[in-house]
Amino acid sequence: MNRRSTVSRPLVALPGGLRVPLHAMLITPALLVLAGVILYPIVSSAVLSFFNYDLTSPQSHGFIGTKNFTTLAADANFWLALKNTLVFTFGSVAASLLLGLAVAFAIDQVSDRYSWLRGVVLLPWIIPAVVVGYLFLFIFDVDVGLANFILKKLGVIEQNQPWLMRANLAMFACIVANIWNQTPFYILMFAAGLKTIPQDVKEATLEMGASRWQEFWYVTLPSLRGIMVITSLLMVIRNFNNFPIIYTMTGGGPAYDTTTFVVYIFRLAFENFQLGYAAAVGFIWCIVLTILAAFYVKALSKDF
Amino acid sequence: MADVRKASTVWKITIWSVIAATIVWCIFPFYWMLSTSVKTDLGVYRIPPELWPTEFTLANFEKLFAYNSMIPRFFWNSLATAIGTVLVTVVLASFAGYALSRLRFRFRYNILIAILVTQMFPMVVLLIPLYILYAKVELLNTWTGLILAYTSFALPFGVWMIKGFIDSVPLEIEEAAMMDGCGRVGAMFRVVLPLATPGIVATGIFAFLDAWNNLLFPLTLVTEIEMKTLPPGMILYFTGQLRTDWGGMMATSFLTTLPIVLIFALVQRYLVAGLTSGAVKG
Repeated sequence: MNRRSTVSRPLVALPGGLRVPLHAMLITPALLVLAGVILYPIVSSAVLSFFNYDLTSPQSHGFIGTKNFTTLAADANFWLALKNTLVFTFGSVAASLLLGLAVAFAIDQVSDRYSWLRGVVLLPWIIPAVVVGYLFLFIFDVDVGLANFILKKLGVIEQNQPWLMRANLAMFACIVANIWNQTPFYILMFAAGLKTIPQDVKEATLEMGASRWQEFWYVTLPSLRGIMVITSLLMVIRNFNNFPIIYTMTGGGPAYDTTTFVVYIFRLAFENFQLGYAAAVGFIWCIVLTILAAFYVKALSKDF
Repeated sequence: MADVRKASTVWKITIWSVIAATIVWCIFPFYWMLSTSVKTDLGVYRIPPELWPTEFTLANFEKLFAYNSMIPRFFWNSLATAIGTVLVTVVLASFAGYALSRLRFRFRYNILIAILVTQMFPMVVLLIPLYILYAKVELLNTWTGLILAYTSFALPFGVWMIKGFIDSVPLEIEEAAMMDGCGRVGAMFRVVLPLATPGIVATGIFAFLDAWNNLLFPLTLVTEIEMKTLPPGMILYFTGQLRTDWGGMMATSFLTTLPIVLIFALVQRYLVAGLTSGAVKG
């Protein structure tokens, strides 16, 4: 094992004659913030999910056991939200993964003189998500949107489509905006991964007379597998929790057709004021995420 | 590597068309935002859309800074809370990162994993209890409240990032400094942390981006309009009939994006280096 530390637990003398371990002084502030803003609310939210806490009917507040969860099983919007979350997440991740791979590979092939390309490619990623939402709200507008104009010119559609007012079209528009926003992250990760493929492997491939396509399929892709797994898992988790783009573009509408889990929880809590029920949906959601997080941590600690 | 294979024309065309398409795809929406923000109301509605306005106007920007506009106030709230978040995050993450990298204590590994896992919880689940808690301790509608909330989301990344950088600082350098009479804490401040500067800068940038872009916290933990930041401010502002004020909307979007792009242009290389060093095991 690497030697990383000289003294394992140094003590620091405080003014009052108190001696405190250095590590405690250094990590406590960070842990306090995390405990207050994340841990406490999570626990408290789990407790809340067993209560009726509907702000519109204060007389009926109280412990109701698992009633929120039985309501939830029969709630059509809950299942719709699940479907929407899966469509939004896997649609975005799959498309971004393929695009990211293609672009990263193309950038890797051209000479280092074009390193400014990386800067350009990152631009969509740094824009505030709300701005991404508004930008694509504009692009998909029924009257003045570029999407309608271009698709009409190309002959794909005959009439202007009200993109954000039709269920499937609205989801599609949100996914396009999301892909635009997050693909740079994949490009960045894959570009970094491509740089780590050892020179001797590349040279051996060359000596064996492999073509460029063969090199791509049999050397490049397999060596990116680890990064692909980790990036996708991370992005699945991120997209499961993506709020601003959908909320800005459609507010979860039309009706509940683009309402993903996070948007549903928000709407339950801050539009319908059913705090207990919202917490119950959140509770279920956290369990799903914890399972995914476990996979993520496992993938991180595995040596690919 | 000297590649002896001659690239076929098809190969070259494929590569360069992917790159050309990428450039257009990445830059055009930006360009469209900028060009719309200097169009007149009439110009926005012209069919076919004008790539660059025939009638150039700055009216949309003048509107943003008119005496009765809330946008400058939102901007100021965003800036103050984002800078506050950067300072708090950098200090806390540096301390925690140092301890987790250099010191050995019980639960060290568990704490590292726990910090990572906090990142997975959706913000929206925290909002209800957090709102009730903030109401009790009077943090609603305050910069402090927002800064604490933002910090909790920037911290996990920062702690891991800075820990990673400190891991790569050779122990001998620190020992030499301690030998020269620095003391452990002195060595930490004068030698170890300065050597982890790229990680600290990257942490600061991510904290700024997180805070600047955050919508959910200021949407719910701030109820007074004067205390809103830009993202929820935009949502409040561009509703109803202003929902189709495209010129004004794109001008505000431009204003919201500008600080981010400027910072990014200044420190791009730190950002890329920091991000990839943690992700890729060399």
